[in-house]
Amino acid sequence: MHTIICVKQVLDPEIPPAKFKIDPETKKVIPPAGVPPVISVFDERAVEAACRLKDKNKGKITIISMGSAKAADVVRHTLSMGADDGIVLTDDAFENLDSFGTAYVLSKAIKKIGAFDLVLCGRQAADWGAGQVGSILGEMLGIPIITLACNIEVTGQALKIRRIVRDGFEVLEAPMPSLITVSSEIGLPRLPGGMGLMMARRKVIPTWKAVDIGAEAAMLDKANSHTEVTGLSVPTRKSECEMITGVTLVEAAGNLAARIIKLV
Amino acid sequence: MSPVSATYWGISGYIIFWVFFVVAAGLFVQRTWFLFRLIRLGKPENRFDHMGQRINNMVREVVTQRCSLKSVTRKDLAGFGHAFLFWGFSLFFLSYIIFIGLAGGFGLASIILGGTFERVFSSILDIAGLFVTIAIVWAAIRRYIVRPARLQMSAEAGIIMGMVFGLMLLHFLGDGFGLASAGVTTSWPPISGAIARLLSGSSISNLTLKHVYYSLWWLHYFLILSFAVYVPRSKHMHILASIFNEIFIPLGQKVVIEPIPVEEQENFGISKIQDFTWKDLLDLYSCAVCGRCHASCPAQLTGKTLSPREVIHNLKEHLLEAGSALLTPQPVTAKDGQPKEMLGGVVTEPEIWACTTCGACQEVCPVGIEHVRKIIGFRRNLTMSQSKMPESAQLMLRNMQSRGNPWAGVQSMRLRGDWTSGLDLKILADGDTTDTLFWVGCTGALVERNVKATLAMAKVFKAAGVDFAVLGDAETCCGDPARRAGYDFQFQVMAEQNIEMFKSHGIKQIITSCPHCLNTIKNEYPQYGGEFKVVHYTEFIADLIKQDKIKLSNELNSTLTFHDPCYLGRYNHIYQEPRGILQSIPNAKLTEMERSKSSSFCCGGGGGLMWIEEQPGTTKISHMRLEDALKTGADTVVTACPYCLQMFEESIEHKGIQSKLKALDLVEIVEAAMKQS
Repeated sequence: MHTIICVKQVLDPEIPPAKFKIDPETKKVIPPAGVPPVISVFDERAVEAACRLKDKNKGKITIISMGSAKAADVVRHTLSMGADDGIVLTDDAFENLDSFGTAYVLSKAIKKIGAFDLVLCGRQAADWGAGQVGSILGEMLGIPIITLACNIEVTGQALKIRRIVRDGFEVLEAPMPSLITVSSEIGLPRLPGGMGLMMARRKVIPTWKAVDIGAEAAMLDKANSHTEVTGLSVPTRKSECEMITGVTLVEAAGNLAARIIKLV
Repeated sequence: MSPVSATYWGISGYIIFWVFFVVAAGLFVQRTWFLFRLIRLGKPENRFDHMGQRINNMVREVVTQRCSLKSVTRKDLAGFGHAFLFWGFSLFFLSYIIFIGLAGGFGLASIILGGTFERVFSSILDIAGLFVTIAIVWAAIRRYIVRPARLQMSAEAGIIMGMVFGLMLLHFLGDGFGLASAGVTTSWPPISGAIARLLSGSSISNLTLKHVYYSLWWLHYFLILSFAVYVPRSKHMHILASIFNEIFIPLGQKVVIEPIPVEEQENFGISKIQDFTWKDLLDLYSCAVCGRCHASCPAQLTGKTLSPREVIHNLKEHLLEAGSALLTPQPVTAKDGQPKEMLGGVVTEPEIWACTTCGACQEVCPVGIEHVRKIIGFRRNLTMSQSKMPESAQLMLRNMQSRGNPWAGVQSMRLRGDWTSGLDLKILADGDTTDTLFWVGCTGALVERNVKATLAMAKVFKAAGVDFAVLGDAETCCGDPARRAGYDFQFQVMAEQNIEMFKSHGIKQIITSCPHCLNTIKNEYPQYGGEFKVVHYTEFIADLIKQDKIKLSNELNSTLTFHDPCYLGRYNHIYQEPRGILQSIPNAKLTEMERSKSSSFCCGGGGGLMWIEEQPGTTKISHMRLEDALKTGADTVVTACPYCLQMFEESIEHKGIQSKLKALDLVEIVEAAMKQS
């Protein structure tokens, strides 16, 4: 079983809100100094899902990441978790692509890699949070798409997927290959073991450019972009604190419940 | 004439003597050979360097009994008892060789016995015997009536005390009857001589006296042989093993954490007996279950399941039980009771994660047992081979891995270099060089409360005209929390990166604010080729005061108590510098907590436990330590470690006594006491 996972390197979402700065002119985020970028938490969970499948069914995991050359750091992290190979897609032409452009680059890379049984993505990226790339990529590859998976099992030649819905979950069956986006409910990603860390340090992570994957220039042209950023602003945070009291603990709890009901 | 030269039921006494000797010696050798083979199951470790110094150490510790006397306190005088037992019994051991072995077994009685030598030696033995007897009676009273918490009831202790008591009794009576039957009634030796005079004065016939003497003599001999057979089969193998353990104790740092061997592939750390080194296994034999570690372990005293005494004792039992199966080449049959899993069974995860690595156990251990590295060995296996650890540990390690520091999220609302803003500091950029680096540490750079101390430090250094630089946002974690949590790969990565960076900036001297950074960079980076002069800021400031570069002239009007951080005191022996600084402040009164200096009590934050959730117990370690500080009546508890400071602040707040006691970093006091120009 060959699983390909698309991962993204993002600005650390744990940086203090006060340190988060943007440039409204260029409509770009200004990365604060001294904060190393991290793997998008949702993508890390997709890697965890793949590792669990590998633990049970054996197979191979290939990681692709589109971004700067530094994305090799997050790819190496996934290798230490249990992935077998990693590739970084970096090219000036890949910069500032929208979801559609990104999915196109990823699809070209996946086609170059060759045969696969499953493609995994995080449910969304931890920076822009559009949640589009997975679905568009599935379309481009021409394979079934299942979003928001919280459990994946292999049953013979098919996949059994538990998918999060608003009021619970549904269980779906899909053929291989399919594309699945993984939701946080799948559980905490593993901490790499000593073996994994050692293997990952030794691995070579190749870099592919636009020409390597045969990406057409027109598809990467910003003029053909499907989306346009018209404005960028930092949301203002407002928090109010209201003390709910009561003579007894039971009464206080009752008052609190009544107040919450009013809010919903 | 000696009892051995007589004939019994037609058999020569010599034959009886040597037959029993050979049987006993055989049993002794059989057992010690078995124990030796078990030790050889352990991995190799080189502890054979500086043998002269090592033997010298052992003699100094054992012969002078410094090992047991060093732990004597007003509350625990047992060390005296052990010393008297040891000295007294050593004399008896000598006497067994001379009087029983040479005089009896080799028929040299006519040369050795009856002269001044015998009279003098017997007199010394009488007095020694008296001390041994008193020590044994005292030990019995302590063990069975007083029952201090550190002692555990065991049949073995009772048997050995009975044996030693029996040996003393047989010495007095045997010599008494012997002297009486020979018609000697001198006043020396005092006790057996008195018994002899008593017997001579009675109407017992000389022949009866002689018969009783012979019987007692043989009884004495058999008891000595039984003792030799029993010792290596009981916890008193301590007598044999601890002598060697004292030879092989670490010569430098007490807590030695070795890097992961390069050839290690899958099984990291310790999960089974063969993963220990031979020294670790010798440690187990050396333990006499005295329980001093048990009584000083902060985890144990706050009701956690961890007891260093039990860990060592249980591991020994496991070694003796499971080890014999490992010695036999055929595979163990699976049917009846496989030996317990060592990691998880003999030593459990809650015990392993309760340790703060404070080193109090090793400090008090009279025989040089290395507890901490065993715990870290277990952690290595859990984190690196099994990925089994508390969620809080995982979070910390993930943060170190992806963010370069153990703090993240809501715990830290700052960025690494933030504290430097507004200060005129030399911040090292790529290619810059400096001689002296002020290494701030993650907590000092990121956590609001500790940043205050960092700022004070920078001001003090500047005021003293120190030429130093900082790394600002380029600084990362030293790796300590990862190493203590057993995740050594992460530590190794950070150590190598930092060493390379230090070298690229031409750094010669590093001043650390955190004792954990101090210990790591000073004592553990050399394992990876990083040799720098590393000093703690308390040493550095003490030096600045000595050079008159800092004058502490403002009055303080405060009663202070200094809390020794484990990694400053026990790990790096810096006790005097912080006290010297505080004492040089006008009107500052320094009081000591009952547990201070080398017996200081951990704040609860070491060993990664600043981030790893404290195991359930009766109270938090930090809360117990706060009580120690309160008992002194001081208004300020001073420390020199960012973890300790946080722990004290948290427990002061928890108790709601902010008006009664405040916690300060020593550097904050220094800054306040410096003359404002």
